[in-house]
Amino acid sequence: MAYISAASTISHQPTFKNAGFSALLEVLGESSALINPEYKEYIDAGLLRRMSKILRMSVACAKECIQQAEIEQPGAIIVGTGLGCLLDTEKFLNNSITIEGLLPPTSFIQSTHNTMGGQISLSIGNHGYNMTHTQNTLSFEHALQDAMLLLAEGEENILVGAADEHIEFLSEVAHRLHVYQEKQLTSGASFFVVSNEKTSGSLAKISDAQSWGLVSNVEDATAKFLKDNNVDLKALDLILYAGNLSEFAEIDTEKCIDYTDFSGIYPTASSFALHYAVDSIAQNKPIRNVLIYNALIKNNLGLMLVQSLEA
Amino acid sequence: MGVRITGLGIVSAIGLSVAENLASLREGKSGIGGITLLDAGRELLVGEVKISSNDLKEQLGTGAGNVSRTSLLGLKAAREAWGENEHSEQLRTGIISATSVGGMDRTEHFYKDYLAQSDPDFTLLKTHDSGNTTERIARHLGISGYIDTLSTACSSGANAIMLGARMLLAGKLDRVLVGGSDALTKFTIDGFRSLMIYDDQWCRPFDESRSGLNLGEGAAFLLLENEKSIAFSGNKTIAYVSGWANAADAYHQTASSPEGTGATLAIDHAIKKSGIKKDQITYVNAHGTGTKNNDLSESVALKNIFGEQIPAFSSTKSFTGHTLAAAGAIEAVFSVLAIQNQMIYPNLNYQEPIAETGLVPIISLQTDRPVTAVLSNSFGFGGNNSSLVFTGHI
Repeated sequence: MAYISAASTISHQPTFKNAGFSALLEVLGESSALINPEYKEYIDAGLLRRMSKILRMSVACAKECIQQAEIEQPGAIIVGTGLGCLLDTEKFLNNSITIEGLLPPTSFIQSTHNTMGGQISLSIGNHGYNMTHTQNTLSFEHALQDAMLLLAEGEENILVGAADEHIEFLSEVAHRLHVYQEKQLTSGASFFVVSNEKTSGSLAKISDAQSWGLVSNVEDATAKFLKDNNVDLKALDLILYAGNLSEFAEIDTEKCIDYTDFSGIYPTASSFALHYAVDSIAQNKPIRNVLIYNALIKNNLGLMLVQSLEA
Repeated sequence: MGVRITGLGIVSAIGLSVAENLASLREGKSGIGGITLLDAGRELLVGEVKISSNDLKEQLGTGAGNVSRTSLLGLKAAREAWGENEHSEQLRTGIISATSVGGMDRTEHFYKDYLAQSDPDFTLLKTHDSGNTTERIARHLGISGYIDTLSTACSSGANAIMLGARMLLAGKLDRVLVGGSDALTKFTIDGFRSLMIYDDQWCRPFDESRSGLNLGEGAAFLLLENEKSIAFSGNKTIAYVSGWANAADAYHQTASSPEGTGATLAIDHAIKKSGIKKDQITYVNAHGTGTKNNDLSESVALKNIFGEQIPAFSSTKSFTGHTLAAAGAIEAVFSVLAIQNQMIYPNLNYQEPIAETGLVPIISLQTDRPVTAVLSNSFGFGGNNSSLVFTGHI
């Protein structure tokens, strides 16, 4: 169980500092763009110049979360990323192959997957547990499970989130490999503060989060997940999903929303779905039980049960 | 507090199995030498694993498809750690691996062709993402469910062991393979060269004249089991993971703080977690990369914790090279072997203490004392610092 006391998302939707955004979402058009906030309000101009898209998004969301939660320091910083810092990786890879002699180090330094976690800790002077999970489409679910494990161990106010950035090269790869043709590939970052204690600032609770790699039967896994949490499939008010839901004959399709229609496709888009769920619950009282069903890749299943504070 | 270790597997520049690695450590035989398998565009010293990817594929029977060298090295080590264990419906088995480059070795191959516009094979990129390297290993071992990859630069391997121990103690898994794997790539070689911390000579950890690291490659895995799993497997306990901690240095994206802030926190918390007293630590397997910055910062951290009573310490990176995300796992296996075989390994290529701290590492094999508790340090880019404590008993 984790109470969410802050949530912040930068995406192709008007999500940033915009409580109630879940009611305003429109299906992404073909050429939608990332909606950038005024990064200078969160990041020193000198640092900002050197930061890639994924770093800016992550640090801004993280700082916004800390302000929202009204905490001095989070007890830990946990980040999920499917593909990491692609802009800097591509840049250094290019340099490494095409330039003889000594190369500028900045893009190498900023190419490692833990750059977001490191930059967040640096920007706020945090000495706590600092972790980066990278398990493709389940990276965020793994980060969240780690956060919930830390809560069970007694840690408080954990900053947990996920980020992925789009580069043009990814679209070329998708085209050549004939994958994800029907939707836009996008960038996004979502961060949250989770804690054991319900406070006046709590927005919703995550009752459970799990993931299965190389999953054999998604229907069985989902049924067991709901049973373990004493929630009937029919009691769900909203199912935010990615991938295929067709295995579930008894689901009322009117309650189901493909969140990638709104987020676009990136490996950690389920973190967008979590913010979507939290905002829906906070703004729309009749919604109490939300299942986030992440089967963006067929072999991988991520499930999160998000409930209203009263549920 | 403590989690049972019942299996070990390793592949590094000093051997393709636990037995081969142990023999090289005993003989003081470094695996660092000239580069032979990878085309890095220049001569340099590396800790290469002495087997080609094609030979590994054949040996491991992975079939004709694309597999990254990181996955192949990982699979070889994971298989040794897994041994003859059997799957059971009753046991929840997971795998947590660590990597920094993932399938970059294959991506580089692709990208050269891509830039040259010479019919690049886009399917190679399916092996790029770090999660894929772990999934490959899991698939070959028949593991499904909890499959996770950590990537915190050079501390990744230690973090995988820490997370595995926590998952077992929380009752989320019954047994888990934990470790890490990284292959040598031109990307990382050029990266550390761009930072001017790649030594063209043999790396000299903790020596006053040290001037950088030699990269290595390899993989290591440990099998951790709870009591329920032991009852099924009947496996003997080799040693315990008894303490762990992870702390952020929050000083600089790549450099460690001169006060060793994050390192001191990690070491201190790991020893406290283990429940043993700091004077019971018999050996410290140091991070000891051979860079000016790390070895000084780590020495300061050791002094912060142990004062003048610094335990016997050495860096085995003088044997293997710095294997990045695999380092924490490789050195965890070395730490367990130190307890199992009652030996402390020499720090090769050392001559003169660092002026500021004056610490002297162990420089010849020690077999004269009981080794009961080992501290293993792993510090990385982004200020990610982790320490583990291994003990023979709990």
